[in-house]
Amino acid sequence: MKVTIERATLLKALAHVQSVVERRNTIPILSNVLIEAKGGRLALSATDMDLAIREEVAAEVAVPASTTAAAHTLYDIVRKLPEGSQVALELAAGGGQLTLRAGRARFSLSCLPVDEFPVMSAGDLPHEFALDAGALRDLIDHTRFAISTEETRYYLNGIHLHATKVGRAELLRAVATDGHRLARFQMPLPEGGAGIPAVIVPRKAIAEVRKLVEDSAESVRVALSETRIRFTFESVVLTSKLIDGTFPDYERVIPTDNDKIMQVDNKIFAEAVDRVSTISKDQSRAVKLVLSRGSLVLSASGQDTGSATEEIEVDYAGDGIEIGFNARYLLDIASQIRGERAKFVMSDAASPTIVRDSSDDGDGSLYVLMPMRV
Amino acid sequence: MTIRRLPESVVNRIAAGEVVERPAAVVKELVENAIDAGAARIEIVLREGGRAMIAVGDDGCGMERAELALAIERHATSKLPDEDLRHIATLGFRGEALPSIGAVGRMSISSRKRGADSAWRIAVEGGTVSEPAPAAQQAGTRVEVRDLFYATPARLKFLKTERTEAQHALEAVERLAMAHPEIGFSFSDDGRTVLQLTPGADDLFEARHARLAAIMGRDFADNSVAIEAAREGVRLTGRAGLPTLNRATARAQYLFVNGRPVRDKLVHGAVRAGYRDVLAHDRHPMVALFLEIDPEEVDVNVHPAKTEVRFRDAGLVRGLIVGALKHALAGAGHRASSTVGVAALGALRPGSGLPYSSGPYSGGSYSGHGAPPSHAPRGLAEEAAQFQSPFSDLARPSAPPAEGGAEARDFPLGAARAQLHETYIVAQTADGVVIVDQHAAHERLTHERLKLAMHAGGAARQILLIPEVVELDGPSVGRLAARAADLARLGLVIEAFGPGAVVVRETPALLGEADVQGLVRDLADELAELGESLALDARLDQVCGTMACHGSVRAGRRLALSEMDALLRQMEATPLSGQCSHGRPTYVELKLADIERLFGRR
Repeated sequence: MKVTIERATLLKALAHVQSVVERRNTIPILSNVLIEAKGGRLALSATDMDLAIREEVAAEVAVPASTTAAAHTLYDIVRKLPEGSQVALELAAGGGQLTLRAGRARFSLSCLPVDEFPVMSAGDLPHEFALDAGALRDLIDHTRFAISTEETRYYLNGIHLHATKVGRAELLRAVATDGHRLARFQMPLPEGGAGIPAVIVPRKAIAEVRKLVEDSAESVRVALSETRIRFTFESVVLTSKLIDGTFPDYERVIPTDNDKIMQVDNKIFAEAVDRVSTISKDQSRAVKLVLSRGSLVLSASGQDTGSATEEIEVDYAGDGIEIGFNARYLLDIASQIRGERAKFVMSDAASPTIVRDSSDDGDGSLYVLMPMRV
Repeated sequence: MTIRRLPESVVNRIAAGEVVERPAAVVKELVENAIDAGAARIEIVLREGGRAMIAVGDDGCGMERAELALAIERHATSKLPDEDLRHIATLGFRGEALPSIGAVGRMSISSRKRGADSAWRIAVEGGTVSEPAPAAQQAGTRVEVRDLFYATPARLKFLKTERTEAQHALEAVERLAMAHPEIGFSFSDDGRTVLQLTPGADDLFEARHARLAAIMGRDFADNSVAIEAAREGVRLTGRAGLPTLNRATARAQYLFVNGRPVRDKLVHGAVRAGYRDVLAHDRHPMVALFLEIDPEEVDVNVHPAKTEVRFRDAGLVRGLIVGALKHALAGAGHRASSTVGVAALGALRPGSGLPYSSGPYSGGSYSGHGAPPSHAPRGLAEEAAQFQSPFSDLARPSAPPAEGGAEARDFPLGAARAQLHETYIVAQTADGVVIVDQHAAHERLTHERLKLAMHAGGAARQILLIPEVVELDGPSVGRLAARAADLARLGLVIEAFGPGAVVVRETPALLGEADVQGLVRDLADELAELGESLALDARLDQVCGTMACHGSVRAGRRLALSEMDALLRQMEATPLSGQCSHGRPTYVELKLADIERLFGRR
């Protein structure tokens, strides 16, 4: 192999690819990136057996060949090379060593044979649709904070993606929950999305995709079957296994008869919650909301720190109510509300509360939050 | 095949399988007999780890000729005078030991009744009994067993090395000796005396302390607190090691019920619970506990070797042990084991392998001129230099006592004098120096406070949006449902959900997003084993511990003198402040005398 490539191009691709590679691997080949040079393109691939990424970049290929080398090491080397340098990759005869040259620096990296590199079979992906990068960002951002990190409930460790029909509107829905709160985001079903299976996309795949679509306006092609999902974006292909489990029947926990409606300026509310909860240092971070006509009093207390209260103005005309929440959960939701005002639809101190963005009533995002007993 | 009655010899050999599993068991049975006979001195002699010979001699009450012959019959005993198994006041009572031993080895017993003028000897070989013959013997009994297991070669094959078997036998004797400080013991193996214990003084308390020191080591005697508690006719005495004196296994935990050494899960569990938040999970305390209980309240007839017991009121016994341990440890308060201090001194002591030994102690490594020694003491030497030259900085706090506040002699932990490396607080006490690890100390204080908050207000609870169903077996569901109210107080709200599951509706907010399934299963197991919701307590404690760790003063923060003094005063007021949540010491104390010794002033 003999390839010459610009540092910046190589670095960008490596940055995408290496982040799939786990820091600690028991199988050596999984620490490596597969490098394939052919016909003016350099293809880089990495996998952790659940998630595979392949990115192609333009390069000057003098002698085509392929090999594998340690992903993190390669990335770190390229990162430290001076800007604007040209990187030359050369595979010695026998294939045991990959030589990297840039300016007067020279690195020799040990390689592992290409045929050891696991190829993740995607199988047949019968469903395919396109999403704007912006729409995909929205879909992920509005839901992923609620993904469970508790591994025993593996079926909550991802975003539940499925198509549904509300009235006449066909929708694509993303739902995530950790058992304490739930986030739901919906958008009109893109063309080709009809009849897609209900799937759970694992957290790591979500994180990688989110990184790829940062500041981009391109469209992303999403292809999926019951067990695999593939995101194709510019010259990057990301394929992931799906979580083999059943997402709980989430619609049942979204209350329909809550009648106490409070509207509040989202920014003022979030800042007040943040301030008041400073006092409750312990992990529970409970904040009590006392609602009366037109006013909301937030309060918190810590065992050895003291107590805090703050009153803010709200639109509320119902009966007085006292309800406790985890401050972190309130802040997570507030940070996803893009509009000026947030709308809380409550029932009582032991029943789920719905939070919405006042500006997109009826569609877009919806959050369900379970109170805390304090 | 027809059913027939097994011959006596076979029956005895089967019984022997249960009672006599290894030489140590023979030693234990014979020594117990000697103790029951009222001996004041017991001599144990082993050869080849007990395989070639075991001899146990005592100066107890002895036996007459007619009794001798009866002694080796099965179920013949002098120890159940009223034939009532509910009143067992002696160590033995089953009447199995001698015939069992006689069935598997060549045994001879010679005995002379106290006050009688002649001694008799009887021999049993593989179940065959000889006629009693006159013998020469002081008052008391001597039992000799040779060629143990010659009649059961299979058992012989399973014996470990001589050394191991002798060690087991020694441990058996040690355990009995701890319970009977009034009796003198000697134990020799192949002519080497390994244990020599003189009969204790008249005062039982003193005698026991001395006996424990002799067997468990001086460290234990110096670094343990006395336990004394009684509840509803059950009395617990003994000594409990300070948490900083700990071991990797539970072997140094000796438990006695009415003078009988036992290994009982309930008691061990109670000891673990007593030390729960002062010891790391994988460390074990050293304890010697003596439980005295009405024989009617305890069943020792669970196993032929009598190492297991059952209590009629297990909850009472458990509660007593946990309570007494916690009370005693809290009373020891901030006492850290002096072994820590001694270990530190060991490191400080000059001449301990310094690459410096050319001159005959010429410079004295700490004289201040001359190079500082090149290893451990370096930090101290540097500090010493600071102490010497710019006195101004360090002396100031003690000058206006009104501001510094604390007078050294007023407080156990003394008055803060300085902070070293932004990590350690040095305080001067009436007769020494205390060095406090500020992070460890503050962590313990925070931990205790969090625990208190939890107990005072009940734990805050997060209601679950999706209740979690945990599948369990029927009895577990029942046990959990019965404790539902207690669990709710700790923040876990559960309900029975059909016969084979519980549904979890609320979880302790402190736990965050917890593994509810795991927690509930562990709880169910623990309830089955202990009858107390320990797991949840422990887990919340763990969370408290972690939070305490994050919420505490870090090493590396500079503290004002007043802050340091405040920390010391809080430590004095807080139970268990001698260790951080992980069982590490929070401070060490160096006595002035030790320091003087370091400098050769004494």
